[in-house]
Amino acid sequence: MSTLKAPFAGRREFLKAAGATGTALMLPGQNAWAADPINFFAWSAGVDQVKSHIAAFEKKTGLKVNYNNAPWAQYRDTMVTKFVGNAPIDMLWVSDSWLPEWVDAGWLAPIDGYPELMKYNADVDDFCNQSVRYKGKQYGLTYYSDYMAFFYDESKLKKAGIAAPPKTWDEVVQQSLILKQKGISEYPLMLSMARESWLIEFMSALVFSNGGRFVDDAGNALMADPQKGAHKALQWVVDAVNKHKIVSPACVEIGELNGLKSFTSGNHAFAMLGRYRVRTLNDPKQSQIAGNAKQALMPAGPGGSHATVGWMRFYGLTSHAVKDKTRAANAVKLMEWFGGKADGQYAFQKLMFTDIGSGFGVKSLFQDPDIKASYAKYSDIAMFEAQQKLARKKDVVSRWFGEWDEINGTSWQVAILGKTSVADALKKSASAWNDLKKS
Amino acid sequence: MSTPKAARRLRYPVSRYDQRSAMLFLVPMMAVLAVVAVFPVLYSFWTSLFDLKLTRPHRVPFVGLDNYAKVFADPLFWESAARTASFTVMSVAAIMVVATLTALLLNEEFRGRRVLSAVLLVPWAIPYVANGLMWKWIYDSGYGALNGLLYQLDFIDKYMVWLGDADKTLALIANAFVWKEVPLATILLLVTMKSIPADLYSAAKVDGANVWKRFLHITLPSLRPGFALVIIYETMMAVRHFDMFFILTEGGPAEASHVMAWQVYVETFRKLSFGTGSALAYVMAILTFVLAFSVIRTVGKKL
Repeated sequence: MSTLKAPFAGRREFLKAAGATGTALMLPGQNAWAADPINFFAWSAGVDQVKSHIAAFEKKTGLKVNYNNAPWAQYRDTMVTKFVGNAPIDMLWVSDSWLPEWVDAGWLAPIDGYPELMKYNADVDDFCNQSVRYKGKQYGLTYYSDYMAFFYDESKLKKAGIAAPPKTWDEVVQQSLILKQKGISEYPLMLSMARESWLIEFMSALVFSNGGRFVDDAGNALMADPQKGAHKALQWVVDAVNKHKIVSPACVEIGELNGLKSFTSGNHAFAMLGRYRVRTLNDPKQSQIAGNAKQALMPAGPGGSHATVGWMRFYGLTSHAVKDKTRAANAVKLMEWFGGKADGQYAFQKLMFTDIGSGFGVKSLFQDPDIKASYAKYSDIAMFEAQQKLARKKDVVSRWFGEWDEINGTSWQVAILGKTSVADALKKSASAWNDLKKS
Repeated sequence: MSTPKAARRLRYPVSRYDQRSAMLFLVPMMAVLAVVAVFPVLYSFWTSLFDLKLTRPHRVPFVGLDNYAKVFADPLFWESAARTASFTVMSVAAIMVVATLTALLLNEEFRGRRVLSAVLLVPWAIPYVANGLMWKWIYDSGYGALNGLLYQLDFIDKYMVWLGDADKTLALIANAFVWKEVPLATILLLVTMKSIPADLYSAAKVDGANVWKRFLHITLPSLRPGFALVIIYETMMAVRHFDMFFILTEGGPAEASHVMAWQVYVETFRKLSFGTGSALAYVMAILTFVLAFSVIRTVGKKL
């Protein structure tokens, strides 16, 4: 007859086991389970996917990960407070917009000294690589990247007898006027110009496609320059709202999410939205224009191109982590597991793309059969890739970006509302940039 | 039998004992107040004397009153102060009128009065954030209830822009604020009305005073304490009000709803400039105090 044997049948065995466990716990580095966990902080996106990928990492390496998250809206404030309070964070998600601020504050550490991470640069889009660099050093590996895209409702264009989507901003005006005259849409173009963190992405896409810049490579304000700056782009928006009336004057109160809702409800023929929104646009459960939402290259302005703005979120390594070699090595392993390859493939990027439609900065993933098959269900991957190649990082990312963004956003809105001229609005924006740069 | 002197001697230690034990019982609460109220107030003043920016943690120079000078030199501060004054005057005036009329109505006996009184409390019971979100839906230019209603009643032939129109924004936010604040003001005025002796009205009726005269010469003067309370309370609420500005417009469009409370938020939590943010908050607190004090001196004096 078999009996269930207790793991420590006698007093002597129990004491031996307890002694061995105690010794192991007191010897750092001798036992992985005894080591401090890797503290990983992120915003609350793809929480289930992150947790499952962490579980796989823990199983493979025996290292523990302490994962926490905060909502995106409060993420920057939360992290700044944590850094100031010396909270033990080793790896975290960072937005490209905060990079200079956080590096100058001494919170992020460069990863140039870790070849196991740097080797991935060759397979990453240029704008993504540029977005993680500051003062000649690299501060992370890509987690997610995307860009501002131009969408159109194919059925509305067909109804208006328009054969092809617009290639230039002038054509956007012409086609919109036709759509308006035929009563197909009162405001054919949906633009979100509300003051929120999305605004700079919309403005940058308009400026870049019009061949302009906010600042030059040396960080000097260019926005007020009538030829090289933001003048053409802002003038186009002002005219679209006030002269041609193809954009609703309510655009100054419409945020990105409301803009998406408005476009999915079939009110418009054209829209500027984050590329990843195409999944929602063509989902019959969420959109009345499902099946008709197509992406076109960003229209070009006079002397401009089909360029757009790209943004980047990445895995950053903290200065706290690199103070200790073992801690840093463990955090780097986790960073590679997420931002690089896990078991020979970009597992996390694929998971996030197929599960929630998040974009990626890894070029080879455009050839991945699973990704191609997944994207083909709702859009055209060739267009996705073609526009991504033309994406550029925001030129205004700086230590004073947040403060300038408030003033610039207001200046654009004042001009759109017709309360000031385009030239004066951009002069104010440039002057604020110069003052902040000096301070 | 004890002499008066002995009694005094006996009373003195007892009273001293009572005073001491009373103080002893108050100590825990005073300690809590010192930690959660007095210390933050003093510390924020201390903070306002430094150029403290959370994103620049290694350089926090002492700047004395420079942050205050910077606040007063900023044209945006004066513009937001003017906008705050305009919002306050609009809101408090509307609250006073609507609350007085509602209180007069509820002071009468009629069928359904109790139901109406209960319904009146609904806006008060809704949290500010929920209230803000509700008004955001109502004012939405694309699918808002306000446009829907006006369109169906043929008052407009196409949907209007509400919050996005800089000329209307402040008045619309004031409207949402008034909707939320009217119930409390009504209750305060109704309580005051209920305390007016019925004899006064009977005597006035005997003297031949009509409804209007009774309202003008009895109700209105008797409502002074209620008016004073409502004006003081609502003025302070309006000056400090933040929630609706945050939810409905985030200070926009352009700077149409950039009021002082919004400026404190932007400075402190968006720019993370705790030095200037604290200075601004102090300026705002002092202005609110001065305003409340003057209202008490002018309106309250006549109570």
